[in-house]
Amino acid sequence: MSIYKDAKYQDVPYEEKQKLFQEVKDDMRWDSVMYGCYECGICVAACPSARFYDFSPRVFAQVMGREDIDTFYELLNDSVWDCSQCFSCTRCPRQNNPGAIITIMREVAVNHGLSSAKKALQAYSRIIYKIMSTGTQVAPDMLQPDFFPDWGPDVKNVSENLDVWRRAIPPETMHTTELAWDVSEKTRLELYMIWKLTGNLEMIENIDEGIFMILEEVMEELLEEHGYDIDDFENVLED
Amino acid sequence: MSVTTAPPPKASMREFIRKGKPPTEDYRELLFELEAKGELEVQRVPEPYVKVETKYGRKKKIPLEQTWHHKSCGQCGHIPGYSTAIFWLNRKLGYEYHDPRDQTSCTAWNYYASSTSNSGAQAAVAVRNFAQAKLDGFFPMIHCGTSYGHYKEVREEILHHPKLRDQVRKIMDRLKMPFVFPEEIVHYSEWVHVVRKEIAEKQVLDFSGITATVHPACHYHKLVVEDAIYDRELYDGQRTAIVTALVEALDAKAADYSTWHDCCGFGFRHILVSRDFSRSFATVRKIERMKEEADPDVTLTHDTGCVTTLDKSQFSTQAHGRNVGIPVMSDAQFAALAMGAHPYKVCQLHWHGVDMKPLMEKMGIDHEKAWQEFEEVASRLKDNGTEFMTWEDADA
Amino acid sequence: MPNLPVLVIGGGPAGLEAARGIVDLGYNCILVDKADFLGGNPIFADYSAITPDMRNAEEAMDEMIAKVMVNPLVDIRLNTTVAASEGDAPHINVTLKNGKGEETVDVGSVVVATGFQHFDPGKETQMYGYYEFDDVITLVDVERMLKGGNFIQPSTGEKPKQVCFIQCVGSRDRQIGNFWCSKVCCGVATKEAIEIRHLLPDCRVFVFYIDMRMYGFWEDELYWKAQEEYKVNFIRGIVTEITKRGDTVVVKGEDTTMGRPMEIPMDVVILSIGIEPSEGTKEMAKIFHIPLESHGFIETIGGALNTVETKVSGIFAVGATTGPADLEDSISTGGSAAMKACAFIRKAELQTV
Repeated sequence: MSIYKDAKYQDVPYEEKQKLFQEVKDDMRWDSVMYGCYECGICVAACPSARFYDFSPRVFAQVMGREDIDTFYELLNDSVWDCSQCFSCTRCPRQNNPGAIITIMREVAVNHGLSSAKKALQAYSRIIYKIMSTGTQVAPDMLQPDFFPDWGPDVKNVSENLDVWRRAIPPETMHTTELAWDVSEKTRLELYMIWKLTGNLEMIENIDEGIFMILEEVMEELLEEHGYDIDDFENVLED
Repeated sequence: MSVTTAPPPKASMREFIRKGKPPTEDYRELLFELEAKGELEVQRVPEPYVKVETKYGRKKKIPLEQTWHHKSCGQCGHIPGYSTAIFWLNRKLGYEYHDPRDQTSCTAWNYYASSTSNSGAQAAVAVRNFAQAKLDGFFPMIHCGTSYGHYKEVREEILHHPKLRDQVRKIMDRLKMPFVFPEEIVHYSEWVHVVRKEIAEKQVLDFSGITATVHPACHYHKLVVEDAIYDRELYDGQRTAIVTALVEALDAKAADYSTWHDCCGFGFRHILVSRDFSRSFATVRKIERMKEEADPDVTLTHDTGCVTTLDKSQFSTQAHGRNVGIPVMSDAQFAALAMGAHPYKVCQLHWHGVDMKPLMEKMGIDHEKAWQEFEEVASRLKDNGTEFMTWEDADA
Repeated sequence: MPNLPVLVIGGGPAGLEAARGIVDLGYNCILVDKADFLGGNPIFADYSAITPDMRNAEEAMDEMIAKVMVNPLVDIRLNTTVAASEGDAPHINVTLKNGKGEETVDVGSVVVATGFQHFDPGKETQMYGYYEFDDVITLVDVERMLKGGNFIQPSTGEKPKQVCFIQCVGSRDRQIGNFWCSKVCCGVATKEAIEIRHLLPDCRVFVFYIDMRMYGFWEDELYWKAQEEYKVNFIRGIVTEITKRGDTVVVKGEDTTMGRPMEIPMDVVILSIGIEPSEGTKEMAKIFHIPLESHGFIETIGGALNTVETKVSGIFAVGATTGPADLEDSISTGGSAAMKACAFIRKAELQTV
């Protein structure tokens, strides 16, 4: 039961919230990202997101330090996605790392398929597909005016001349339109193995089932071509 | 007995001399300890290298050549002149490098945007790239600020968590690759920093009339502060000297502004799907301030995300009557232009948002002629469907 | 009359109190100081008024110095440092060094009173620009100005309209490695704030803090007085950066009460720099083989119950050599060490009889 009368998510069972809280604390990095907080506010002072959103890294550090499970759950579902992960908050004199606390919280949110996480990553899932399946995050063919209308007329020019302009770049590895650079098949294979061995593919299932299914197919295909069975790769992070 | 009750000395008379031991552990010592125990292999920085001073006075080795260029998604994807300029500089200065196909993204852009990954995967991706570099016989040089910052984070986690090392080892065994970690994590802008005098020697354009504002990347100097280059001659050793040192070496003017320390607003996820934050922040906190206080001809930075955010935020905000309009480019492109690189064939300035023509005119570049030259090559490529622009074409 | 003297190293407030105590008890004292004057930091750094009494610092120190100078049992050695030591108390052979050369003396016990040094703001994690901006100064710079009866904006020489103090510079910080609270800076900053408001009634004064450390009577005599009588503004939230906009420095922090980031132009920014063990303290620890405790200050045995005895028999440490100390601490420990140093010699003599 929250001490605050107007707390949100009161219908979610306390044990559920506590489980997620404990998962954050159980992360390997916890002891080096959270010490104590004396509320000096340096983190907020340096934070770009604090100037734009109703977001405060100080609140995150305080809530985690106080072990306020209910407010933790609120943050996990609301402002955790506002953080710009710049790590300016690592100016903290106590050596807390609110940015890293948030990275861990987001991982927990993703692992549990929270609807707030799904919503935050909704428009973003095609990027996840790109990075996981090809090994580069951005591809030149993503520079389309309908996806980046606010970036300016250069986007339109690029998309109209994409094929020629990509061939008009001297480095040999960059003569690509579907990838940022030409990633070798061997490397892609190794990347897929890493995703399987770390349970990364399964994480995607929690966020976007459609993307997950396509990814799994693509990965399975390449692995089979090289004589591997996708099910042979157990998650080495679980013990 | 008492000395003087005069006002305090002016800042120019105050000299900072760092005394005492650095407050942090030396990560190199820890790496070598692990190597001695047989836990991993440390790839040494090859000679020739230059030693530079970092934040707490320790020296860092920056290799000059035999570098494995760890490319950046964003640069190669939508700022191709950035990567091209880095390669071009290496070629012009005569330093051997390798541009691998056997390289994955560091995947940190995705990690910071969505956390759809974990420590194990991120560490394995890093170590796989490092192992490949070692197998190829070259030393990794990181093109992106995000990658650089993230790999420093990965290094800390690997050094302090034996369990993570076990996990990475298991994964590397399955991949049949060694567990390698480089002695130093080197950012390409650090290489540009140590060769800046060589660049200046080959400078053909006069930059003495150019004013530049510098934006240092958060992941370069804030995320794990230790590795960043500091110089007693610049900012009294209190702010990182990176990029500013290059500006001065090229005889341009580095103008200060009040939001020098602020992030650009990239946000990783925000720049792609919540752009109102990125462009508002970049415009209000960075570009407008630079314009008001320094009125620069160009703003220079050394990271993919920063170039993207600062450059792409100005178009729509201009439509809202904001005080914007500063061309944005990387230190590598700036250095390449100084050395006479073709603005379109090498620096690929046509991929940038803000109009570069006034800047090029001030630099003494005939951009109309240059664009004609580029279009000539482009039309040749259009007709012949399989041809690419070569390095020779780029310098012709 | 006992023969072996007590050696007091350092002529600041703690050392002076120890020396006076020793000779009042009828023992000999050799008082050594590396400067060519007595009085230590309050004189070296031109403190204007002592905290919290508001009494003129030079006058207060002159009083202490006079008491020591008038007594023939005190052998004052200025411009002198301790170069080496041999043997154990009550027969320590100490080598003193001055401009003319070296001399060895035999002493029965030692009181280390080598004090502290101020934190150098260039080592701070936050970006304060002390070395870049004229108008960013420290508590020490302010004392010097106030002693001369004025307070100006360094860059212009004009009277400032808006100044601020930033607390905890170089203290309470895991990144720098100075974990401790320096104890005196909140009191000193508030005292200076009152002095500035007194001198310049039109000048607004802010104090940016994490916690105001106002022990005992400092609470109402300094803190309440500053807020209520002198309208000093205390804002809870520390500054992360100082940059320059045109000619003015700007501080960037969070107003934690209001829960939002703030950026305020200031005419003068005063860094409340903390205390660190001085070079002299570290030197003496090496020369007399005195162990240091985890923060780097001289270790005393017995915790709260024994504030001056070190692990080395016959060697005592006072004032800021053992940790952050205010003036009262220095006087109190000086007196306590005088008593113990003399008692040590007396016990040794009684045993040999």
